[in-house]
Amino acid sequence: MKFTIQRDPLIASIQDVAKAISPRTAIPILTGMKLDVRQHGVTLTGSDSDISIESFIPAEENGIVQVENIEEGSIVIQSKYFTEIVRKLPEQTVEIDVDDSLKVTIRSGKAVFNLNGQDASEYPQLPKVETDDSFSVDTTLLKHLIKQTVFAVSTMETRPILTGIKCQMANNVLNFTATDSYRLASREIPVDHTSLEFTCVVPGKSMNELHKILDDSEENVEISITKNQILFRTKHLSFLSRLLEGNYPETSRLIPDDSKTVIHAKTKQLIQTVDRASLLARTNDNSVVKLVADQDGFIEISGYSQDIGEVSEEVQVSGIDGESLNISFSSAYMLEALKAIDAEDIKIEFTGAMRPFIIRPENDQSVLQLIVPVRTF
Amino acid sequence: MTKHTTHKARVIFHIDMNCFYASVEVAHNEALKGRALAIAGNPEERKGIIVTSSYEARAKGVKTTMPLWEARKLCPELIVLRPNFDRYRQASKQLFKLLTNVTPLVEPVSIDEGYLDVTDVTADPVALAEALQKKVLHTLNLPCSIGIGPNKFLAKMASDMKKPLGITILRKRDLPVTLWPQPVNIMYGVGDKTAEKLQSIGVTTIGELAKADVYALKQVLGINGERLKNRANGIDSRMVDPDAVHDFKSIGSSQTLSHDTTDEKEIIALMTQLSENVSRRLKRKQAAGRTVQVMIRYSDRQTVTRSRKLQAYIESPNDIKHIACDLFFQHWNSEPVRLIGITMQDVSEKTAIAYQLDLFTYKKEEQKAKLQSVVTDLSKKFGPDTFKQVKESNQDNDIRTSFQKDFLDDFKHE
Amino acid sequence: MKTWSDIVAVQPLAGKIMTNSIKRGRMSHAYLIQGARGTGKEALAFLTACTLFCAHKSGVEPCGTCLDCKRIASGNHPDVHWIVPDGQSIKREQIDHLQKEFTYSALESTQKVYIIKEADKLTNNAANRILKFLEEPGSHTTALMLTENSQSMLSTIRSRCQMIDLKPLDPTLFQQRLIDEGMDERSATLISEMTNNITEAKTLNDDVWFADARKLMIQWMDISCTQPKELYVFVHNRWMPHFKERHQQDRGLDLLLLAYRDILYAHLDKMGGLTVFTSNDDLIQKGVLAFSQQKLLAVLQHILAAKRQLQQNVHQTLVIEQLALQIQR
Repeated sequence: MKFTIQRDPLIASIQDVAKAISPRTAIPILTGMKLDVRQHGVTLTGSDSDISIESFIPAEENGIVQVENIEEGSIVIQSKYFTEIVRKLPEQTVEIDVDDSLKVTIRSGKAVFNLNGQDASEYPQLPKVETDDSFSVDTTLLKHLIKQTVFAVSTMETRPILTGIKCQMANNVLNFTATDSYRLASREIPVDHTSLEFTCVVPGKSMNELHKILDDSEENVEISITKNQILFRTKHLSFLSRLLEGNYPETSRLIPDDSKTVIHAKTKQLIQTVDRASLLARTNDNSVVKLVADQDGFIEISGYSQDIGEVSEEVQVSGIDGESLNISFSSAYMLEALKAIDAEDIKIEFTGAMRPFIIRPENDQSVLQLIVPVRTF
Repeated sequence: MTKHTTHKARVIFHIDMNCFYASVEVAHNEALKGRALAIAGNPEERKGIIVTSSYEARAKGVKTTMPLWEARKLCPELIVLRPNFDRYRQASKQLFKLLTNVTPLVEPVSIDEGYLDVTDVTADPVALAEALQKKVLHTLNLPCSIGIGPNKFLAKMASDMKKPLGITILRKRDLPVTLWPQPVNIMYGVGDKTAEKLQSIGVTTIGELAKADVYALKQVLGINGERLKNRANGIDSRMVDPDAVHDFKSIGSSQTLSHDTTDEKEIIALMTQLSENVSRRLKRKQAAGRTVQVMIRYSDRQTVTRSRKLQAYIESPNDIKHIACDLFFQHWNSEPVRLIGITMQDVSEKTAIAYQLDLFTYKKEEQKAKLQSVVTDLSKKFGPDTFKQVKESNQDNDIRTSFQKDFLDDFKHE
Repeated sequence: MKTWSDIVAVQPLAGKIMTNSIKRGRMSHAYLIQGARGTGKEALAFLTACTLFCAHKSGVEPCGTCLDCKRIASGNHPDVHWIVPDGQSIKREQIDHLQKEFTYSALESTQKVYIIKEADKLTNNAANRILKFLEEPGSHTTALMLTENSQSMLSTIRSRCQMIDLKPLDPTLFQQRLIDEGMDERSATLISEMTNNITEAKTLNDDVWFADARKLMIQWMDISCTQPKELYVFVHNRWMPHFKERHQQDRGLDLLLLAYRDILYAHLDKMGGLTVFTSNDDLIQKGVLAFSQQKLLAVLQHILAAKRQLQQNVHQTLVIEQLALQIQR
């Protein structure tokens, strides 16, 4: 195996796939980075077994030759050393050569490095996906979908399935739902040109990584599902994540659909008020604030702390319909939900002090933030 | 422990720290002395609000919960600090340690105030109060006001009358002159809502409350109406109860094994017993906690403590045992064990606990709450004890002293 | 032991149970494989994993050359997890990692295999957590727990696994193998008492430290038979400097155990059981004269007690000093 490559695209690719590599892994080969060299280009792969990232460097792109003198082959190189070496090479051109005993020689200008490689066949086989089973989503939209839901996944291992986002595709609608059982976030978007239907649960950790690695300049992401992995693919990048096993609890029937009180408010104003009210409660991290709505056009939001005192603030809202209300909830959940909702005007629908309430943008049913209140004794 | 003598007239102190947070900051940094000082949530942000301020700042009109920008307008030279709660808790611990040196009958009310029953301590309460005030000022560098009265209510009202560094005596016979002319809302226990209701039956001063018709009071305030009238007349039969502390942070139980052991069955049996002890004492305090700490002492006396903070408050022996065992087996190095301790930390009274409901179980909780509200409604009508959960019977004679120990332990842990 | 036929030759029953359940597709979710050192626990687990994953097997016999087989051998198979205790215990991180793995889908296939070595080092809590997960329906996961001593695991855990008992090796067969490998008969006899593992046996035989340990053991025996008052001094001057680590001390006690047992055998005229000495050794005659049968039984008890104390981390010097005093009395 042998090829000559431009250093800059190589460094960029290495940086992408290195994000998936962890020095502490139970599978020894995964401390390495896999290189697959073919006539049409070089593919780099990194994985911690939970997520895997593949980056493709085409031999030629926009008329510029990036890889040449290609002799096909595959090798796994210790990621730590490879990354450091390539970063410090003196010249723009890098020549990599692997002999039959898996010795890797890296040359750039007068610098020559020799490394021991590992047999690429030892590396996990990542699923190859047919394009028929995939659909395409706008990159910015996908990032929104993640951002608006992933914060609500559970961080506790007691119900492992809740540490993931449920991704469901049905009737040309893609829905992401996440809950830690104290709040729930959900967002859906329409998807055209596909007849795919599926439900899977993707670890929240993977989704956070995906959000980081997705480049806004890419227009679309191709998504496909295999029996045990989900694949997100842009032009030169493939991101794979293992799925969570087990049944995601049915949440739709837990979401109240009748409301007794509806508050219409300005998102920004509400964020600031709740933030202020949580100030005093913040000492004992159990930052509960109370919302009272019984006067026309005003709600009162208050925070209380045993040690310090209390703060309350009246806020004029755009409208209140229905019964009067007195409800307590975690200010942190409220703030996260309000920030994720991404709309100037919102409506909050309540069905009682002990029942979850729902926040949505004023004229948009595609986003739902649900918060389960706090019961005060 | 000193015995309460009920027939004798009692002498109660209410000690109230003056501008506690600000004073602690001054004690820490002499340069702040005499300056307008405020503690605020987010000093660098405009929207921060004042948590507390020094007298110098108050003189300029700075008030608690005022937005920072407004305070700065009133008092441009205002020095603003971020709250340092660890520092305040530390000072509070030292304060109560000092108070328990005077008498074991100390009832902390909050981080910066408490009651002392000094009936059996001295014949000259004023001299004792002066000495105590000086001692607090000299050893902790903190000013306080002390109110002296025959009961908690009057002591509390008295400490409010002169600040800072006041010592005020309030006797029942002083009431017509001192308290009765004052508006009713300065009375401890009368909030804005209550004052409003009182006004609706024509009661605006404490004197009017003292003379008001009990039946009319009950109509608007329920059982609380009579209680307030009694207070206005200087009657308050509540004892100073060291057990009534709000801020009890931990309740624990530990035991040395009869022999060092590695036998898991034996260990689990002891854990079960300890969990039951802790749970029983929590129940007696009508409290729950949400950090479980396990202490393991090995045969070589090496001791490790490990704790876990939970999302929800727990109180049942099973819940405590479950977490404690999990912790134990996670951290036990399989060497012979000499002593095991289980401590519930982050303990709060149930009334102060907010319980985060769960999406998957809220419907069940809702059922429970409905039942609870029936009980509450009935309690309001017939008095609070009607439905109180049956308290532990007298098999738990040790409870009183053991909780006191927990509380004092808090000071010893320095 | 690289094939099922190898295993069935040595462990016919265990080999059959495993191959039958694989053939019938009736794998349990958890196996507890119990057997002394060298009885083939790991080989059994390894072959089971290969058979479950190999796509080119003939009958139950995995090919041994495909990517799956090769990577199971090298530890690189992403769906086969080996959990090996790190020192005295299986660490919390290892269990956390396991638990996380349980909740994730397999990477390449639709099944996962966990091989837990020295499973008796799992805390009961950890073992329970693992089993609880395995018992959830629908998990295509198999756990193979290996132990030398299943009795040290809680019965509640044992009852939830299928037990596979490996039978002890025939010592004469093993001795013969050692002799075939070029070991002298005396060493082969002695070492076969210390291990059942052929590689370990050879390492032990070539180990200079072990050779010296054997010499010291002979000196100990000589002193304890002829001038017992000197034993205490010998312990300090010679014995302790050589047996520094706890596991070395344990080995030393094993040697003494065998030596005193030989003298007892000589008393009983069971010369065929001798492991350290031969019947015409001078020392064995001296021993028979110096120690009564009753005394020998007491000495053996003392040595076993010393071994226990060592395990409980009692100070080494204290243990051996005490033993020397007990023997010289």
